[in-house]
Amino acid sequence: MNVGQQTTRRLASRAGRSICRSCKDTLSRNYASAAAAVQPEDQSSQHIPPVAQASPQASYSVNAGVVVSRPPQITRDLHPLESAFFLYQRRLNERTALPFTRYFYYKARTPADLEWKRKMRQRLTPARDIGRYKGYGDEAWNDELLVGAEESEMQHQVERLIADAEQTGLEDSAEAALNEAKGGAGKKVEHELIERPMSRITEADEKNDVKSLSRLLQRTLYLLVKNKEGQWVFPHDNLGKETLHAAAGRIINDAGGVNMNTWVVGNVPIGHYQHDYLQSIKTASGLNELGLKTFFMKARIMAGQANLNDNKFGLTDFKWLAKEEIQKEVRKKYWLQVKNMLAER
Amino acid sequence: MALRELPLRSASALCRDTRPAIYALRPSTRRNASTTTTTTTAALSEVEDTSSFSIAPPSADQAQAFDPIARSRLRRRGTRELPASRYQYRPPKYYRGPLHPHQPPPAANPASREFQPGPFSLPRLEQTYQSTIAADVLALTYQHFPPNFRAAKVENRLREWQGASPYFKNRPLRPPRGRGEVLRLLTPPRTFRNVPKLTKVTVHSMVPEAQENSANLHVAGMVVQAISNVRAKTHKARHNVVNWGLREGRYVSVTTSMEREDAYHFLAKLIDVVLPRIKEWKGVPGSSGDGSGNMSFGLTPDQVALFPEIEVNYDAYPPRMIPGCHITVHTDATNNKDARLLLQAIGLPFYGKLND
Repeated sequence: MNVGQQTTRRLASRAGRSICRSCKDTLSRNYASAAAAVQPEDQSSQHIPPVAQASPQASYSVNAGVVVSRPPQITRDLHPLESAFFLYQRRLNERTALPFTRYFYYKARTPADLEWKRKMRQRLTPARDIGRYKGYGDEAWNDELLVGAEESEMQHQVERLIADAEQTGLEDSAEAALNEAKGGAGKKVEHELIERPMSRITEADEKNDVKSLSRLLQRTLYLLVKNKEGQWVFPHDNLGKETLHAAAGRIINDAGGVNMNTWVVGNVPIGHYQHDYLQSIKTASGLNELGLKTFFMKARIMAGQANLNDNKFGLTDFKWLAKEEIQKEVRKKYWLQVKNMLAER
Repeated sequence: MALRELPLRSASALCRDTRPAIYALRPSTRRNASTTTTTTTAALSEVEDTSSFSIAPPSADQAQAFDPIARSRLRRRGTRELPASRYQYRPPKYYRGPLHPHQPPPAANPASREFQPGPFSLPRLEQTYQSTIAADVLALTYQHFPPNFRAAKVENRLREWQGASPYFKNRPLRPPRGRGEVLRLLTPPRTFRNVPKLTKVTVHSMVPEAQENSANLHVAGMVVQAISNVRAKTHKARHNVVNWGLREGRYVSVTTSMEREDAYHFLAKLIDVVLPRIKEWKGVPGSSGDGSGNMSFGLTPDQVALFPEIEVNYDAYPPRMIPGCHITVHTDATNNKDARLLLQAIGLPFYGKLND
């Protein structure tokens, strides 16, 4: 049994009556005793229909909310340990793999073959992005990086791949220098320039433009709006005679304008927020309203941008924020109820 | 061991609040990760007064000047320290049972003969699955049940033999109705633990011409190996099939099966590079799917030649010998619908009548 389970069990036993019975039973189930005690069969296999509310006068008003998110656009940065591990495995692969079949890829005595041989002499291994390392021979054990080496960093590996595609292997050799001196530009082989990958940090990142969708490309961004009371919340509205799915689509249009291409994911909510009033309110239909519950639907933005001009909820501002930034903006009670439906990355 | 301790622990957790306060002063030998460690470190420091963590790392000059190759050569100058022939370890070639004194190392050990290095990267498709696709598929397929709901248990999915015949006793249960029917997989309620995911990708290439000319089989093996990054396996025809020109015992096909990193890289390459370049490709046929989470589709020889690994040295393959192939994507979904949803989320379109 791991520490997490012990902790939850301890918390559950301490919490006393505030935790519901079914949860407590689940938590305090002891495996040994469960195996020994034979449960009555009909109880577990029975279908228990949902029970009607005890006091029909008490109720909550129902809101529909929508969590519009932009999924991560690029891969995440690797942890230094991960990148070091991957480089170590690649070098191990150089030691264990069969030799590269050169003649299957380069015909003998062609310029491409000569270039391959030149490059092999420089880096000692067929792999282009693992640094200068020889997998065969007496000194193949020397596969560890020294202090300050940058072979395991992704940026360095990308540069090496680009350099390999662009260069001929003759750049800083004596032969090339001799050729230069002679002024013989006729035989110089030029590879075409390779397009560099775009920067992983965008202009919006540098300016910290929280309204931009091109910020934090590695993270999921969520649309947060500032309502009439000046609080930052996810867009939401009263649920009319409509489904949650339809309500989510309507709220996106009414709050963020029609200039967003969105997809409401599925028909079920991914989380809910419950707000209890200090004093219960008597509604027109004779119900005793204790508070309000907001059920959040999940939506993805494909293109476009939010525009709060002529929105119907009196929203004043919007932001696209990652999870931990949302925590700083919203109220603590709100955060505790919505945090588990937001993705870590 | 941990299970045996459980009742004691839960009992002590229950009556912790009723314990007299003097117990709090008693040093506890049990330590949890969450408890403070000040007293225990003080106790440990008496046992062990030096730690490797307290020693400063070598200075920058030393680190710069360190050359492992030169040190090794210096050490081995003149005579070798150890007679190499005697102390070089080579694992045994065959596993001779658990009682044999000479045991091979586990396959995860680089010294093992079965060791395969990897993973070499964290594939982009896998990251997308973790961050986006899995959560969306969960939201799309989630079915809510009220608390305390227990689904009615299906006791026997197979029928009993009815009747008075004495031969019905101890006879295996009757198979499902219908010809060639088998029991379908059960689909458990969707939770965050059983979101369908990719388990394996198999590439299969059938070359009946290899019976006359084995070069076709070699080329097919090279092609399949090049596009999948996994060693290809060859297969013999199991039966004579006159219509297909198959003769029993002749090698006719090659397969590779990719898992984890290779599978993700292959699918990403297929979806982002190869399929968009196929002219008028309609998509994966909607009739595909075997009802247990596996989806297959085929590629023609022209389409296989669009793989970047083939294209880079297309001339090295003999003309008109590049084979077509069938690609099967294995998922751990339990029905066609879920498997198709996952593949659509990954980026494979489906067309035509859907097989549900």
